[in-house]
Amino acid sequence: MHMRRSAAALLLVASGLAGCGGGDGGSNSLTYYIADAAQEDVATRCATESGGAYAFNIQRLPNTAAGGREQLLRRLAAEDRSMDIVSVDPPFMAEFANAGFLRPFTNAERQEFSDGILAGPLEQSTFRDTLYSAPLYGNTQLLWYRKSVLQKAGVDPAAGPVTWDQLIEGATKAGVTVAAQGRRNESLMVWVNALIASAGGSILAEGSENLPSDQVKGGIDTEAGAEAARIMHDLAVSPAAPAGFSTAGEEDSRAAFQEADGGFMVNWPYVWAAMDSAIEEGSLPANFKDDVGWTTYPRVAAGTEAASPSGGLGLSISSFSRKQELAVEATRCLASAQSQKEFMLTAGNPAALGAVFDDPEVREKFPMAEEIRTGLDAATPRPVSPYYGDVTGVIQTAFHPPDALSPDTTPRAANSLLEDVLRNKRLI
Amino acid sequence: MSTTIPAAPPQKVAEAGKTTRFRLTDRARKERNLGWMLAGPAFFVMVAVTGYPILNALWLSMFDYRLTDPAGRDFIGLGNYLTILTDGLFWRQFGVTSLITVVTVSVELVLGFGLAMVMHRALYLRTALRTAILVPYGIITVVSAYAWAYAFSNTYGFVNGIFGLGEFDWFGGTWSALAAVCVAEIWKTTPFMSLLLLAGLAQIPDDYLEAAKVDGATAWQRVKRVILPNMKAAIMVALLFRTLDAFRVFDTVFIMTAGSQNTETLSFLAYRQTISRVMVGLGSAVSVILAILVVLIAVMFVKVFKTDLSQQRGDRK
Amino acid sequence: MKVSRRNQIFWIVGAILIIAYAVIPVLWIVSLSFKEGDDITNKSFLPTVWSWENYRTVFASDLFTTALRNSVGMALIATTISVILATLAAYAISRLDFPGKRLVLGVALAITVFPVIAIATPLFNLWRTIGLYDTWLGLIIPYLSYSLPLAVYVLAAFFREIPWEMEQAAQVDGATAWQAFRRVIVPLATPGVFTAAILTFFAVWNDFVFGITLTSSEAARPVPAALAFFQGASQFSQPTAPIAAAAVVVTIPVVILVLLFQRKIVAGLTNGAVKG
Repeated sequence: MHMRRSAAALLLVASGLAGCGGGDGGSNSLTYYIADAAQEDVATRCATESGGAYAFNIQRLPNTAAGGREQLLRRLAAEDRSMDIVSVDPPFMAEFANAGFLRPFTNAERQEFSDGILAGPLEQSTFRDTLYSAPLYGNTQLLWYRKSVLQKAGVDPAAGPVTWDQLIEGATKAGVTVAAQGRRNESLMVWVNALIASAGGSILAEGSENLPSDQVKGGIDTEAGAEAARIMHDLAVSPAAPAGFSTAGEEDSRAAFQEADGGFMVNWPYVWAAMDSAIEEGSLPANFKDDVGWTTYPRVAAGTEAASPSGGLGLSISSFSRKQELAVEATRCLASAQSQKEFMLTAGNPAALGAVFDDPEVREKFPMAEEIRTGLDAATPRPVSPYYGDVTGVIQTAFHPPDALSPDTTPRAANSLLEDVLRNKRLI
Repeated sequence: MSTTIPAAPPQKVAEAGKTTRFRLTDRARKERNLGWMLAGPAFFVMVAVTGYPILNALWLSMFDYRLTDPAGRDFIGLGNYLTILTDGLFWRQFGVTSLITVVTVSVELVLGFGLAMVMHRALYLRTALRTAILVPYGIITVVSAYAWAYAFSNTYGFVNGIFGLGEFDWFGGTWSALAAVCVAEIWKTTPFMSLLLLAGLAQIPDDYLEAAKVDGATAWQRVKRVILPNMKAAIMVALLFRTLDAFRVFDTVFIMTAGSQNTETLSFLAYRQTISRVMVGLGSAVSVILAILVVLIAVMFVKVFKTDLSQQRGDRK
Repeated sequence: MKVSRRNQIFWIVGAILIIAYAVIPVLWIVSLSFKEGDDITNKSFLPTVWSWENYRTVFASDLFTTALRNSVGMALIATTISVILATLAAYAISRLDFPGKRLVLGVALAITVFPVIAIATPLFNLWRTIGLYDTWLGLIIPYLSYSLPLAVYVLAAFFREIPWEMEQAAQVDGATAWQAFRRVIVPLATPGVFTAAILTFFAVWNDFVFGITLTSSEAARPVPAALAFFQGASQFSQPTAPIAAAAVVVTIPVVILVLLFQRKIVAGLTNGAVKG
């Protein structure tokens, strides 16, 4: 008797607990998964401007790209209906779109959301000729340098584009460092992709986008793949590699660049805003930025234009959302030119809309606005593939640690690992 | 769930005539029913919450199944197992896992024994000692991992400063990264080991030691001839528990190295296939293999080393 | 046992070393949590300026406070359920003769050796189908998979040490087994139950794998999983000091329990073999 009654009580508690899961939070409340805290400010403004047409329930994604992907993947795979707008890191979009997790934008919407968007961000928001993400910001890396070291290093960006080899050699001569992201996470993939693309290659063979996983072919076992492995290795073993090279992410690179022996760095434009904060905090001298210059991403071969990395963030609508129309309406505001400008000014992340770069406020805060815009137009997205998660996993396994790479063996090993993993023959 | 509450009625009918025996049997029957009434819910919950996932994992492990590609779900029998067992990566991670297990458990045994001795002998600071030792035991593994990751970090940490290592990047090489992971694991779990050993230590009658002392045995001889042999059961149980735990290490590695520099363990391999790659079938197969390995370790301890688990239960006959 | 003064000094030094061993890493994370700005990368043990900044940051964010509420709530519920069920089961195992009692213990042991990661995936699949994904219940149930066997174990060991003569005496006085259980055994068993509750709470409080695999929003995410969601100044910077502050906050309950119940916890872990 006692037992039965307590079991019933337990069940009651249980159903109550289960109920507090996917709260819907009102008929016009949209659940918005954000990747950057600054998105919340924009959302607040949009909600106010909508005059009550919609409100947001903000949910955060983890602070790493891979963590964000895993989180969204699980949530979307669970066909969660309470999820409306999600912030998707562009390389992961194809995987979600292929699985039917994202609502494709209609042709009219596509027109609207791609109007004025720069080439890099637009390309990575499109999968099988359908737009799945409204670009919120675009991102590309620049080559940052300390003006004071140029002469000693014998490198002159003003005289024309710089190559990786010149950088390594020059920095070694001048006793300064070349900071890049050798950490085994998505930033390593960004680097490898940029190097292979700059050398004229691509990680996946042409047309892989539409193939099932067991027919996808890699494009790493090529001259371009060998060049990438060679440059990464050369930098990693040279005196120009900052301490802790194989574990350095973006922030570690910035720290190395700001050191006394900092010389060169490839990194996203957020570093410019981050240096401002460091100066404000007093950890950098007030005149530090006077010494900082920038130019387009380094080339692999002197005669071939560099394919600079492409990053950013897109807003997608979940296929399982019950309020898709409202979500599209809200996205119009969230990804508007005004919002992109605000986002650029507060978070330091470049807009995806070309016109934003003409804004005087943006120009003032980002003296390198023109270079960023050019970079975004020339940026080469990471491979668009429904199996991108495996692709990046393989690259991060095969191209790490950088000092152990070899142009003779790494490309072949990486390529066969890639194809085997996609055919479910090997593990990563 | 083959064992359910045994049906009692037929017996009752058969024995209804014999009054005295009926009373006894009736009592036994009541006891049996009460036994299952009391133990049943716990038993049922334990089986339900783990039985389903375990069977489901076995089933899923026979599919080539990617969560983002539901249409491509194929039955491949033992294919996933074949893939895993013929992959060098699996064996390398098996090696890494075994290495972490052997290193941490053996260091913990020595260190834990020292700790237990001090706890057993120290007359002063007893409460402070036992309280302090419980902090690593109770602390969240993830918190311990962060603390050590930051301590070893060449950006934030004090370790390099103390040992004059300058910019040394602990997480930049396999061996140093594994060393950092082992330090964190050892710190967190030695207290547990030492408490289990303390239990064994406390069972050794003082007069054994006194007798050895009278015979002129040195401290080391007393440890070797009296203490260790009498603690064998406690040591084996402590080793078993810690080995099973260490072999499943995940949190510490996840936080400290995220698996880079070849520091991935088997639990991590399972996590990567299942959660990162959403290859549910392959991931389940890794999990099943991991479970089998853990069971093998347990069986090995019980059969080969004759570890008596009932000793742990306080059943000292 | 007579111990010479020199010997005692030896043991005291040992004790101090051990205390240092146990607390230094904890003090380090505490110290880190009070660092601000440049101090975070000063690579020395102590901050130059002590600042509450990081605590303000973590408590100002819903992310952390909700996670803390989830952690506390789910840990308490899982602990309560485990201890109630385990108390009944452990009493039956140690006191009553019934077929299959070895099976109960065997199952408890078998479950504790199964890797959590192996349970997480099938549960994710099941939960998303039946709607338990990202709910409290969806985490409490898997917590039971290891908290319940642990509680059964600890309690069964405790119950063996209880002077059962008193129960028999009660039964002779005409009480039924159930009455004897309620009036005599429950009061005797309370300390053991309490200890089992603490150990179970620690185990559940420690969860990470289920927390990261079975949640995806603030609805049920526990603190250890939430730490990965903290953001730094930019999207690439690691929020080291706020993580440290959050880590300290979740360690406080552990320290309080340890300070209050040191003796009980030691006894629980050593099955009452250590007196005092």
